[in-house]
Amino acid sequence: MAKNFIDLEELLERTENDRELMRDLLTIFKEEFPQRHQALREAVKSVNATQVVMEAHALKGMLSNLAAVEAATAVGELERLGRKNETSKFLESLSRFEAIAKELSRQVEACMAEVSG
Amino acid sequence: MRILIADDELMSRRLLEKTMQRAGYEVTAVANGQLAAAELCKPEGPRLALLDWIMPELDGPGVCREVRKRKDQSYVYMILLTSKEKKEDVVAGLESGADDYLTKPFDPEELKARLRTGKRILDLEDRLIEAREEMRFQATHDALTSLWNRGVIMDLLGRELTRARRENKCTAILLGDLDHFKNVNDTYGHLAGDEVLKETARRLVSSVRSYDFVGRFGGEEFLVTLNNCDPAFGLARAEKIRQIIAERPVETTAGSVPISMSFGLLLSQEWGYQSVVELLHEVDTALYAAKAAGRNCVRLAAPKAQTEGARELATEPVWRRR
Repeated sequence: MAKNFIDLEELLERTENDRELMRDLLTIFKEEFPQRHQALREAVKSVNATQVVMEAHALKGMLSNLAAVEAATAVGELERLGRKNETSKFLESLSRFEAIAKELSRQVEACMAEVSG
Repeated sequence: MRILIADDELMSRRLLEKTMQRAGYEVTAVANGQLAAAELCKPEGPRLALLDWIMPELDGPGVCREVRKRKDQSYVYMILLTSKEKKEDVVAGLESGADDYLTKPFDPEELKARLRTGKRILDLEDRLIEAREEMRFQATHDALTSLWNRGVIMDLLGRELTRARRENKCTAILLGDLDHFKNVNDTYGHLAGDEVLKETARRLVSSVRSYDFVGRFGGEEFLVTLNNCDPAFGLARAEKIRQIIAERPVETTAGSVPISMSFGLLLSQEWGYQSVVELLHEVDTALYAAKAAGRNCVRLAAPKAQTEGARELATEPVWRRR
């Protein structure tokens, strides 16, 4: 059984059990995440530490709001590396984040179906 | 209560917006720091703000600094939302003028509790302003009649005379004294006397224009300035005021009290450059002449070169009633 990357209990608490709001947040995430993710990839590819910090910080905020703590921590690591200009560790850190992000995206879909149903 | 939310991240903004609306706040949400500062600096802008630390164009601390530059407007209580937890970051945020900070992701209950703290501070500010305004009113107004007090009416007169001279306009100074007021107090009692003074003040205020000044000059003496008026208007208005004061008795708790008032009138244009004190002395002399002429009438103060003292107004026999 796959690990849960969204803490639903936490998300419900944060939205004060407002399922409509949860659906809104998941919808926004679905729309915004791919663009942000792509921007982060490009920043890593171009070894632009400033851009990595900016994109990783934005993603960390989104993921924290979604109670996706593990993904937020992973992307937070990229932000930290960017701030320290440790560019050589970018790729390794990005792949760790992407592995989580892939499963997270699937779980967001499932979550959407559950909340909408 | 209105609250501003500033966050460039859409999910965060939506979450905050909904949480605040549910808590009963009227929310204005913006996506960058410049818009936040513009909203908060409006004269009737929100007085509570939740500001993301990192935002495009102007960051949260930058917004705080902009807002704190304003000196005369109401206080704005600002909370910075941040994922920064290092002590130096927190210090920098608070140094920029923020009142509080909250680490993201926020807990709704904690956020609401912190906003209640902010609201308590804003309520306290409102009460202090109210108390200050009350004190300012007490310091400038007569406690019984709520008219300008002696110091203020003299100050206003001085400013008005300066303006009138500069613009070559006329100010009419009217000094009125209730006739036989001592008898009112002796016959009806001091409480009734107070009621007479209050009603006299009300009649005076209702008989002048919104930009004229009325003050209590002494016990039963009142000073009225008719600003920016030509001499003919000043003369006519002085007589009209006298009529309004005397036209019906004052109904007091001790009974119906007939009243009248004697007036000294001075038209500033006729007097050139004289001090407020000198002009008041002249108008007082005219008032004394009105009393000597039988009361309930108006006497115009005339410069020495023109006449020997106070002139009767042309219609004086019609005006004098008692």
